[in-house]
Amino acid sequence: MDEIQELLEDFLVEAFEMIEEMDQDLVELENSPDDLELLNKIFRVAHTIKGSGSFLNFDKLTRLTHHMEAVLDKARKGELTITPDIMDVILESVDAMKGILEYIRDNGDDSAPDIDIEPIVVKLDAIVNGKNTDQSSQNTADNVQTEKKEAKIVGNINLDEITLENADEIDLDSLEPEELDAVLEHLVQLRNQKKDSQEGKVNLNEITLENADEIDLDSLSPEEADAVLDHLVQLRNQENSKENQEKKEESKQSNSENANKPAESSNTNVAPAKKQNLSNEQKKKAVKKAISTAADQTIRVDVKRLDQLMNLIGELVLAKNRLIKIYNDVEERYEGEKFLEELNQVVSSISIVTTDLQIAVMKTRMLPIGKVFNKFPRLVRDLSRELGKKVKLIIEGEDTELDKSIIEEIGDPLVHMIRNSVDHGIEPPEERKAKGKPEEGTVWLRAYNEGNMIVIEIKDDGKGMDPEVLKRKAIEKGIITESEAANMSDKEAFMLIFKPGFSTAAKVTNVSGRGVGMDVVKTNIEKLNGIIEVDSIPGQGTTFKLKIPLTLAIIQALLVASQEDLFAVPLSNVIETVRIVEEDIYTIEGKSVLKLREEVLPLVNMADIFEIEKVLEPEKYLYVVILGLGATKIGLIVDRFIGQEEIVIKSLGEFLKGLPGIAGATIRGDGRVTLIVDVGSLMRLAKETHNKKIVTESLNEAKKKKEKPSDYTVMLVDDSAMDRKIMRNALEELGINLIEAKDGVEALQLLKNNEVDAMLIDIEMPRMDGYTLAQEIRKYNKYRKLPLIAVTSRTTKADRVRGVEVGMNEYITKPYTPEYLQNVVRRNLGL
Amino acid sequence: MGSLNEIVKQQQQALTKPEESVSEDIVQLVGFIVGEEEFAVPILSIQEIIKPIEWTRVPFTPDYVLGVFNLRGNVLPLIDLRIKFGVAANEIDENTRFIVMKIKGEDVAFIIDRLTSALRIKKKNILPPPDTYSNEDDIIEGVGRMDDGRIITILKVDNLIKREEIVPNGN
Repeated sequence: MDEIQELLEDFLVEAFEMIEEMDQDLVELENSPDDLELLNKIFRVAHTIKGSGSFLNFDKLTRLTHHMEAVLDKARKGELTITPDIMDVILESVDAMKGILEYIRDNGDDSAPDIDIEPIVVKLDAIVNGKNTDQSSQNTADNVQTEKKEAKIVGNINLDEITLENADEIDLDSLEPEELDAVLEHLVQLRNQKKDSQEGKVNLNEITLENADEIDLDSLSPEEADAVLDHLVQLRNQENSKENQEKKEESKQSNSENANKPAESSNTNVAPAKKQNLSNEQKKKAVKKAISTAADQTIRVDVKRLDQLMNLIGELVLAKNRLIKIYNDVEERYEGEKFLEELNQVVSSISIVTTDLQIAVMKTRMLPIGKVFNKFPRLVRDLSRELGKKVKLIIEGEDTELDKSIIEEIGDPLVHMIRNSVDHGIEPPEERKAKGKPEEGTVWLRAYNEGNMIVIEIKDDGKGMDPEVLKRKAIEKGIITESEAANMSDKEAFMLIFKPGFSTAAKVTNVSGRGVGMDVVKTNIEKLNGIIEVDSIPGQGTTFKLKIPLTLAIIQALLVASQEDLFAVPLSNVIETVRIVEEDIYTIEGKSVLKLREEVLPLVNMADIFEIEKVLEPEKYLYVVILGLGATKIGLIVDRFIGQEEIVIKSLGEFLKGLPGIAGATIRGDGRVTLIVDVGSLMRLAKETHNKKIVTESLNEAKKKKEKPSDYTVMLVDDSAMDRKIMRNALEELGINLIEAKDGVEALQLLKNNEVDAMLIDIEMPRMDGYTLAQEIRKYNKYRKLPLIAVTSRTTKADRVRGVEVGMNEYITKPYTPEYLQNVVRRNLGL
Repeated sequence: MGSLNEIVKQQQQALTKPEESVSEDIVQLVGFIVGEEEFAVPILSIQEIIKPIEWTRVPFTPDYVLGVFNLRGNVLPLIDLRIKFGVAANEIDENTRFIVMKIKGEDVAFIIDRLTSALRIKKKNILPPPDTYSNEDDIIEGVGRMDDGRIITILKVDNLIKREEIVPNGN
């Protein structure tokens, strides 16, 4: 039973893939109904599904595809031209097929009570019967097609519905004599036809090991099945007569069994059911064996395994970052040493291999975006029929590859955007004509790579959007204020359509009001760290650009420090970084803005957004990250740029995820955790902050007013009480506060609890010496500028160099004069 | 770390030793001090106990959420039980520990002032929390009366933190 299950799963995967493709092909077919190659392809797909379906005893599915196949068969023989009306029916049956397949997937059988195929079957039959006048041409069929071609109705019996396969279903007793005659004559005719065309039905040369599983064994006569199987066996070059025999038998068996159609089999079904299962299993084995020797170039891998692999790579990237950091530290300390060269080589080669490995694993998760694009021709076709518009969809770049998880997420937003383009963008034919445009509108769907991003472009040549109209609407709906509208650029105005509660459709059509708004589209794209750009020229059309990172797990980020806290900002949203002075900041109507070249940008202090306590005194220069999301730009004041780094995104876990402004966390080279900013959410927070906080005031919050010497505190660190006393005596005259620590450990503790403006540090101390103390202090961002003055009797050059290395500002050797010490301290405090 | 290792070792021995020694009505707990009071949690809910390491602050969280830290490649939230219980937070010293516990399938670390000991207590000696206890959050499982007369508050690990209290508007 497991093998059956496996087979079923394979069948479903394959069937869904094929139907997706079929959808697209059918729409294409409508545009070029004479494309025989395309028709043949579609026919083959229907045929394959029918074949596999009957193989697995999905009678309902088989019946539907069978009738559909009849229509397609006619079309490919040139006896039927596919009109849009016929296409509607075909597409309807494809939808029903999908429905049944979904039901099979969920329930394991094809009863699908919600899907009634009978009306569709009637329609399909009507198409088959409606046009055909030539019966004999049917004989040239190169495949098995036993449907009757002409509506022949005798009494209550439609002879066309009678085939050799379903002949058993007919209740002969209930027929009138003339009906019986007609039926029998019909069957004889069919039998002869079949015999006649025997040779042409199966072209053995077309059968290869690769397509062997597409062969519909049920539709073959026993003789044909033998021929096919013999052929397969020959192909294998592995003569195994026993197996061959088995296959023959099985084929026969299932052929006869499949004649038991469901209509009459309600009572006869029970008995053969078991036998059938058995035979199916054997049959499956046989066919599988026949094809298994053909070397397969691809394997199916569980996505979970790939995810696991990706996680491991993530760990590796972290370890690599850490290695690089350690190397940099070592390089500083042992400059010029020989082993550095070697270490450097190892580090670089590991980092190259890690990157390659990461790319390779990423690629295994990549799928062509065509997977998503495939369903759009059908969507556009249905929509344009529904809306009475003429729309052509041009797809480009369907081979562009994207991470699987993104592919899964991007479908719905794209559906909505395409709907939007057809519904709101493209004008009705009359209107287009009046404007001098071709009646048929065009929608372009295009995908291409741009650096680390993939760009999906949705463009239409419809009526475009008028920024002024959008603004007016937004004001009416209370989404923006008049003054906001006045300051809005065209691009920003276009972005209004993504605001919740905004819809430009004058009337809500069936197509638009489906519960998914453009705001949801935007949120979904932002979840993927993507951005949306809109451009539109009234009367000429609109272009949407979705820019999405290739992968979700590992991104490039700019690391910045706001006060003491580090944050990683996704580089894809960083437009530029600038250094400004406070004078560059203007305050307009109580809001701070930065004039950057020709633009005026809202300016917010990152520390205000995240409510970080300000401990750093503002410096002369301010560092600003210009963030961009869609058309919105904002300036974010940070205290330091750390640099660009490749980071692995980790979740904050169930309890902390979803915090405003935070997308996740990453582990840095030093093992510390750094939070990753969620740019979309940060922008919203920034806007709130921008409205209530003036940056220049916020900057001054940290400025402590220090005017007189008693506002200053200096810490004296020395293990000798006498030395501390000497320092104290020398400095007391200055009128500053003095606190004392007797070693490095105590000094650190005191530093945490006191406001200290400068430190005098002895080098030789128990527990923690002066060098280590200085090193520890410099680890804190907030003490980066704290003057550290070494006071020591160590006088060699090496000692002084070491002092500079660990971050001492000055180096005083004992003994010193009180005046000298005073001068040094005064200079360092700026007194 | 020494005492901790001993505790863990004892517990492991107790767990691996013949079944009969761990009879059903005995609960094994790990006791610790937060502020002035001794608390305990079931030993099975504890993933590990580590010495304090550096953490990263996380904005927009209640004050008892100190932040997050890296435990062998995983990002864990760090909760200060002292603040959570309304006790003034002590300095982190050599006795301070992070207890990592699994809550609703997620590892969460809690700061405690000091470990006391591994405890074995008979189920019948665990009483429901007295009415005088403020137990609004339902974080107290019961009160254990030890043989030496100590009274220990046993915590309901699953209720120690709640997402809706930490991220009120989260989805």
